[in-house]
Amino acid sequence: MIVSQHSAAAAHGSIRRRGIWSPRPDLGIFPESPLLSPQQLESLASLVDEKGLLTDSESCLRYGRDWTRVHSPNPAAVVLPASIEQVQAIVRWACAEKVALVPSGGRSGLSAGAVAAQGEVVIALDRMNDIRDFNATDRTVCCDAGAVTAQLQEFAESQGLFYPVDFASSGSSQIGGNIATNAGGIKVIRYGMTRDWVAGLKVVTGTGELLDLNRGLLKNNAGYDFRHLMIGSEGTLGIIVEATMRLEAQPAERAVMVLGTPDMASIMEVLRAFRDCVRLEAFEFFSEEALAKVVEHQGLARPFATASRYYALLEFEKSDERAEVAAMECFERCVEEGWVEDGVMSQSLAQAKALWRLREDISETISRWTPYKNDISTIVSRVPSLLEEVEGLVSANYPDFEIIWFGHIGDGNVHLNILKPDAMPMEEFQARCGSVSKGVFESVARHGGSISAEHGVGLLKKPYLAYSRSEAEIALMAQLKRVFDPAGIMNPGKILDA
Amino acid sequence: MKVLVAVKRVVDYNVKVRAKADGSDVDLNNVKMSINPFCEIAVEEAVRLKEAGTATEVIAVSVGEKSCQEQIRTALALGADRGIQVEVEGSPEPIVVAKLLKGIVDKESPDLIILGKQSIDGDNNQTGQMLGALAGMPQGTFASEIKVEDGKLTVIREVDGGMQTVSLNLPAIVTTDLRLNEPRYASLPNIMKAKKKQLDVFTPEELGVAVTSHLTVVKVEPPPERSAGIKVESVEQLVDKLKNEAKVI
Repeated sequence: MIVSQHSAAAAHGSIRRRGIWSPRPDLGIFPESPLLSPQQLESLASLVDEKGLLTDSESCLRYGRDWTRVHSPNPAAVVLPASIEQVQAIVRWACAEKVALVPSGGRSGLSAGAVAAQGEVVIALDRMNDIRDFNATDRTVCCDAGAVTAQLQEFAESQGLFYPVDFASSGSSQIGGNIATNAGGIKVIRYGMTRDWVAGLKVVTGTGELLDLNRGLLKNNAGYDFRHLMIGSEGTLGIIVEATMRLEAQPAERAVMVLGTPDMASIMEVLRAFRDCVRLEAFEFFSEEALAKVVEHQGLARPFATASRYYALLEFEKSDERAEVAAMECFERCVEEGWVEDGVMSQSLAQAKALWRLREDISETISRWTPYKNDISTIVSRVPSLLEEVEGLVSANYPDFEIIWFGHIGDGNVHLNILKPDAMPMEEFQARCGSVSKGVFESVARHGGSISAEHGVGLLKKPYLAYSRSEAEIALMAQLKRVFDPAGIMNPGKILDA
Repeated sequence: MKVLVAVKRVVDYNVKVRAKADGSDVDLNNVKMSINPFCEIAVEEAVRLKEAGTATEVIAVSVGEKSCQEQIRTALALGADRGIQVEVEGSPEPIVVAKLLKGIVDKESPDLIILGKQSIDGDNNQTGQMLGALAGMPQGTFASEIKVEDGKLTVIREVDGGMQTVSLNLPAIVTTDLRLNEPRYASLPNIMKAKKKQLDVFTPEELGVAVTSHLTVVKVEPPPERSAGIKVESVEQLVDKLKNEAKVI
């Protein structure tokens, strides 16, 4: 968006809307943009090399959105800096020209945090993707913001180490984006969120200033730790350009189990039982509906013949034979107690991978029904009660909706997915889901939970922020934003109203 | 019908193996070991024969160090009835393994022996055929489908250029190809039951076989690293590069 009206728009609490830009292939050649003046484009182009600016409609579509499909991407241009200095120059340019910037990483976000629907300039970090300066003593490595998560995981492995943050989109998501959204994923129960692995951070603030935060230190109590403020700020306070990431020793051999359980309460008992006897690396769950869809559409084999209401997928460290014996005894006990109906354990890495796919492929599988997604959390012990309440609410008010549950139950984090009935138009579906949201979030609030456990707020969850954060907190967030971004150019309209 | 299945403990096929620095072998330190994928298919096929009522007993046999009992237990968890380990140090050559298996065949007199067509570590593709010769049994190698009817075994083989169907008299030997079946997961109740199943251990001496070696590994080295590719700008450039740089057209 061209932010000349920025403050006025903010005063009215509205966002200036433009019509969808219809691409003109005959004109869509660099350097032209229907949303920036030729002078603006020229000055922007002068800050980067010839590969650094894209204005064609295909690039604008690609870079203008994340995995969400609610908003129509409409960026003015896409700029791809190749260095920190270029990022700084672009931010200063945006300040001077009053043009909003949307930072873009792997574009696999699920809350429309990286969507440019208002004529913003997308600043994509793809070209800054180096991994360097590995330090074996400190077990840290320096990553450019655009380095892909899997690239870091592979690098760690090549050094005999381990980068434990992992999720379904690790093959495309970027470190900068992971940090900006404090990505969680499937190993949080053992290793925590991305936040726990950031030892140092370089950030370009809304004035173009470069902050070098924490510099890899383990202990640093010299004043406020802005690093943690930047982590999870979704590009609204600054653009993450470089990070020093911690690495961990590789875990011993791991085994994966999939267990069938009759109800949610049993899953919690299973979690408690296994936590007491083995070192859990992951504890996930999914419903029979989710499994049925994945088996049907991904051509995967069911773990066992009988169907259960819910399934728990757990991974544990098989450090020695005792760990396996302990896990087997625990399984036996769970069966005796009636918490588990059947189960399998991986015998090879291939089987471990195949079992993981039953969980990890859910999101992609159900994307064909353009699901309404909620990523909610509460403390682990309250999950069954939250789930029951939400399920009752949806089935009572929207009996024609199909619900798919899955998530990181060991972290108290569940993903509620409502599939769009084929016959229902998108607009009607979204409108009806909007009213579901209110009920869901009221329930989350009653359970002291969070309306966004790991996906962030972006545009999608912004209307519901007050269910998780107090008025005073939200006011402080707005004040903080003005401190780091006085011109209001950093991803405006995300998390908070611009 | 008694079925004997051979299983081998090998480095897990999802592990990226590295050569040892001195080039003497693949580094197996702290590396996940699993049942050879082709052997897993062999076990699955034997268990299916049993479930179909064709086989009455399935025996899993492995030749190797004590650690290979882990893979025998996996076979037992998948549905084999009992296990046999022939305890041998190091990695014996196919002819030695075939002779040891022949010793077990003489003891057990199975009607059908199913082996993987090859193991993914040595890639020899010899043991099944050698056993066939030693035992004087017909063989159906690279099987993608097998059927037992009226005391005869029909094997559909994957061969260059298509499929070949052979009919064998029992007792016979089958080696499995990838498409024969898709192995199941080991269920936890069956993994527990497997721990209580009978597992006998023999030594080569007991089977009257001398473990000898005819081959020496000279060197193990990783394949040359591929250099990064480039993006060509035009068809003309591509053709030019294929002609003048790659020299393939």
